[in-house]
Amino acid sequence: MGSQSFSDALGVDYGALAPLLIVLGGACVSVLLEAVLPRVRRRSVQLVFSLAVVVVALAAVIIRATSGAGDVVVLAGSLSVDAPGLFLWGTLLALAVPSVLMLADRSVEPGGVFVADPEALAEAQERVGAGSLRSTSSGLPSGTGTDTHGVVGRRGGAGPEPTTPPEMHTEIFPFVLFALGGMLAFSAANDLLTMFVALEVLSLPLYLLCGLARRRRLLSQEAAVKYFLLGAFASAFFLYGVALLYGYAGSVRLADIAASAAGPLRSDALLFAGLALLVVGLMFKASVGPFHTWTPDVYQGAPTPVTAFMAACTKVAAFGAILRVFTVAFGTTALEWRGVLWAVAIASMVIGTVLGITQTDLKRMVAYSSVAHAGFILIGCLAITPAGLSGTLFYLLAYGFTTIAILGLVSLVRSGDGEAGHLSGYAGLAQRSPVVAAALSFCLLALAGVPLTSGFTAKFAVFSAGLADGMAPLVIVGLVCSAIAAFFYLRVIVLMYFSDPAPDGPTVSLPGPMTTVAITLGVAVTLLLGVLPTAALEWAGAGTFLG
Amino acid sequence: MQGSAGLTAYVPLIVMFVLAGGFALFSVTAAPYIGPRRYNRAKLDTYECGIEPSPQPVVGGGRVPVAYYLTAMLFILFDIEMVFLYPFVINIDALGLFGLVEIVLFIGTVAFAYAYVWRRGGLDWT
Amino acid sequence: MSALVIVLVLLPLVGATVCGVLVKGGRDATARSAGFAVSLVELVLVAVIWGLFDPSAPTRFQGESSVEWIPAFGVSFALGLDGIALAMIALLAVLVPIVIAYTSFTRAAERFPDGPDGEPRGAGGFVALMLSLQGVLVALFAATDVFVFYVMFEVMLVPMYFIIGRFGGARRQYAAVKFFLYSFLGGLIMLGSVIGIYVASGTRLGAATFDWAELQRLAAQLPESTQIFLFLGFFAAFAIKAPLVPLHTWLPDAGAQAPIGGGVILVGVLDKVGVFGFLRYCLPLFPLASQTLAPLVLVLSVIGVLYGALLAAMQTDMKRFVSYTSIAHFGFIGLGIFAFSQQSVAGSALYMVNHGISTAMLFLVVGMLAARGGSTQIADYGGVGKIAPVLAGLFLVAGLTTLSLPGTNSFVSEFLVLLGSWPREPVYTVIATVGIIFAALYVLWVYQRTMTGPLRGEAVVGGGPGAATARALAGGPGFSDTVDTDPPDATRRARFGDLSGREIGVLAPLVLLIFLLGFFPQPVLDVINPAVSATMSEVGVADPVGPNGVAR
Repeated sequence: MGSQSFSDALGVDYGALAPLLIVLGGACVSVLLEAVLPRVRRRSVQLVFSLAVVVVALAAVIIRATSGAGDVVVLAGSLSVDAPGLFLWGTLLALAVPSVLMLADRSVEPGGVFVADPEALAEAQERVGAGSLRSTSSGLPSGTGTDTHGVVGRRGGAGPEPTTPPEMHTEIFPFVLFALGGMLAFSAANDLLTMFVALEVLSLPLYLLCGLARRRRLLSQEAAVKYFLLGAFASAFFLYGVALLYGYAGSVRLADIAASAAGPLRSDALLFAGLALLVVGLMFKASVGPFHTWTPDVYQGAPTPVTAFMAACTKVAAFGAILRVFTVAFGTTALEWRGVLWAVAIASMVIGTVLGITQTDLKRMVAYSSVAHAGFILIGCLAITPAGLSGTLFYLLAYGFTTIAILGLVSLVRSGDGEAGHLSGYAGLAQRSPVVAAALSFCLLALAGVPLTSGFTAKFAVFSAGLADGMAPLVIVGLVCSAIAAFFYLRVIVLMYFSDPAPDGPTVSLPGPMTTVAITLGVAVTLLLGVLPTAALEWAGAGTFLG
Repeated sequence: MQGSAGLTAYVPLIVMFVLAGGFALFSVTAAPYIGPRRYNRAKLDTYECGIEPSPQPVVGGGRVPVAYYLTAMLFILFDIEMVFLYPFVINIDALGLFGLVEIVLFIGTVAFAYAYVWRRGGLDWT
Repeated sequence: MSALVIVLVLLPLVGATVCGVLVKGGRDATARSAGFAVSLVELVLVAVIWGLFDPSAPTRFQGESSVEWIPAFGVSFALGLDGIALAMIALLAVLVPIVIAYTSFTRAAERFPDGPDGEPRGAGGFVALMLSLQGVLVALFAATDVFVFYVMFEVMLVPMYFIIGRFGGARRQYAAVKFFLYSFLGGLIMLGSVIGIYVASGTRLGAATFDWAELQRLAAQLPESTQIFLFLGFFAAFAIKAPLVPLHTWLPDAGAQAPIGGGVILVGVLDKVGVFGFLRYCLPLFPLASQTLAPLVLVLSVIGVLYGALLAAMQTDMKRFVSYTSIAHFGFIGLGIFAFSQQSVAGSALYMVNHGISTAMLFLVVGMLAARGGSTQIADYGGVGKIAPVLAGLFLVAGLTTLSLPGTNSFVSEFLVLLGSWPREPVYTVIATVGIIFAALYVLWVYQRTMTGPLRGEAVVGGGPGAATARALAGGPGFSDTVDTDPPDATRRARFGDLSGREIGVLAPLVLLIFLLGFFPQPVLDVINPAVSATMSEVGVADPVGPNGVAR
């Protein structure tokens, strides 16, 4: 490593890297803000700052995409900023906007999901005499009062004064920014080591975010531990795969692996063993069945805004990486390994659909639905054609916004001790809150793939790409699974519209402006991409991976 | 047959894996049979690298204060970060200005984290 | 004319929005009137287009318009009318105002299920859903782009789902979900074929497209094996929708649980999308497959004729009865289409219109009867003719057009189907003819059980729920205290209540059409025939019936 190569590296294309640098830099600054700001102002400043970071980064992506700047490989070949990569970045950042809004919301329950000390808050409200507020009766679900006090003690502070606003874990903002930075790097990584580092950067904050619900501590922490243990396991698989591929190709660069595979004949054992292990790690993050087992528990246990962020953004990042690995590193050998992944795609669609039918909790249902959708998306990934690429990218965009809207709506329906996750809580929702019921129905229809919603356009794009690439059996399985899945989406709509509400059933919180904006954004994009998808489709099909 | 030729390079590695695994298995199985069994108080204590936990937990049911682990964890974190300074120092001439900028950025991020830990009471013992 | 076609699609949708807003604002009555007015304007528009339609025009579609929609998929929002589509749109335009008038303005209109406030749901929401359904259906019939057709095919389920689910009978949820799932499943199978033909067009025509005319040109290049797969995808969706026999089980549930007005449009028009799909998509796009698989469809059709008729005769519920008669009629339509002769196909196309009118009539009369008796069970009625002669008379008219009595509209079409099918498919034709006898049996038997003979049945003389409704309608003291004394028929008549002027007004246009088309079907045939000829040439089968109507 002479000085020459480093000065080359010094000539970094900052224009191409700007979104990533903005997000990661913003995350560091956000940590600093956390340190220096007084408690009362942290939330508002952090919220505005995080939003600004995301929006500026998004603007940087748009400027880059519209500037006509060519595809480049930057940072000594470790990141590739190309047209699909920019689309993935744009998708991730666009999805981050409603996610951040939902994370910061405090209107749905007192103090927000991440309130630091719900019990002290409840006491404070009682002292103020706000006995009529619902939260006072909510309490803690499992009597974990002493543990909570332990946390208070360590922080060295008593409960908040009645006059101060309830404290919340404002660390969620740097967490989200770090996770987002990891996702951006993950989907643009041009070598497997960068991809691994990005995988860890995006995963660790997510593990923590999952465990931060204070009102349902046990469920939330259980979800976090499960996610962490299985995630670490999957990371190990990924790393092992990287090692084998390095053994095969002598390089971790995606393009080098492809070149080795196309080169003189040598044993493919390492190549395919490496790919298999790599795929396990990637599929885990994308919650593709049969590597999905964490999904329902974590989706259910994590705070709903975190679930929304995970379900939308992690999927985009993971499938972005999968697309890149398949296309760039393994595109030349696709015919040899594709058969195995057919089985994975079919398993994912069937598992998600069949187990989805048996669910009685809406968030678990959404989780299994995401497994089924992962199978659909995988069809697009397996078609290593421009149509498959653009279809998959469009699918990710469409699915992300729909999911965020659904989970936002789910967070509004509340019974005494928190969200009314159970399906029975949705009986007669249309009579209590027609708007929420209508929006939820619309999003569920989008998941089912009814025309004029984004879900249909996306499915069409992916399935047509799959069929054009000779994957008729997969497409047929996909269609059958869509039909079966329609049953459980429809069941919720039936409950909401045609059943009578239980007298002691859940209430619908009036969302604050931030959740309202997030949900509206999700629903609007779902409709827009269903009716006028042209612009997004064109952007998604603007180019191919650089490799 | 080229494939097997490529793989022969790994034969020593596999032999080493087998040896290592065999040794581990042997040690674990053999220990209960041939090892002396003498119990003392220290063996029943919480494992703390051989050092007695300090301060000794008197109250609170004999539990070690959480702060101990937190501080230890923070120490390890910052300790590991500093490892990166060694290669920089050794190659400081070759890396030039670029290296300097990079290491300042690196120290900056670590400093941010340190500021956060400090301000949020991570270093307070009580 | 292109502009008019677009207006034809948009007007009901705008009307539906206006109605919806009015209902939200609590102005149910205004919403109903506004909806009715919109549906009348739509009818006038259709009449104008019918006048402008030139049967001798050389092109298949008239009033074409096309707006690029999703260029990435080669999709345009393309509309255009051929004779069959126009006939279906006209049928819809006639039925919608009648349904709205029946639901909104007749006193005997059925009681909708209770809303959240414990009061029955107002009809305003129903009118809004009905108008939106009309807009979607018009776009579906007028679509000349397969993608647009598919989109509308799926979207039309949504308003119908809510019509059944919100305004239907006791088991409406079950029926609505069953309806939606069956149709959605069929639609997804069709989606497979839609994608398939799209991909095939990409490889064979150079640029992938959804344009119907382009895809029709593609038909000549597609090998038969491919055609068969694609055909089966479309066929599955249409066979569920039509419905052909093994796939029909959703229809009796949906038909019985739908509100009367919803049932009219469901069976009268929405199901026609299936047979319309055979004519517009299966035959021209996959001619070789259509010929190869015709025996399959013919067998299913003939089974449908007999099975539907037998089950219709066995029904105890009048709405289910109407649904099963429809299954039998759809069998005839299927037979006519896949017998591939000018006469039989034209007969089927005409049948699609006529069956809509007949079924609407039958459904509405049943609805009016049920509004008086409070029950749709056949066993609850008897001798109604004595106390409600006008109702009984119109029931008879509806029944006779259902059994295709000469002089009624259905006769012409059924006759054409059988006549045209005979030269090519004599065996199926003979078997189907047996269905005519069954039709006479089931219609007259129901009539005899409910309308003739002495007064009997819970709903007419008993103290059941029907009697209570009857009491309320008659405004006099209950039956239960007078039934033993056997009052004169005149008293009973006053209490059960014959049809009101408005109800007769609702039925009058249908009666008029039944006899008008029975004696003078030529105007409709003139519009239909060019499209039928075009379809025949696209299938590429020589017409077995000569120009003078004699078999070659």
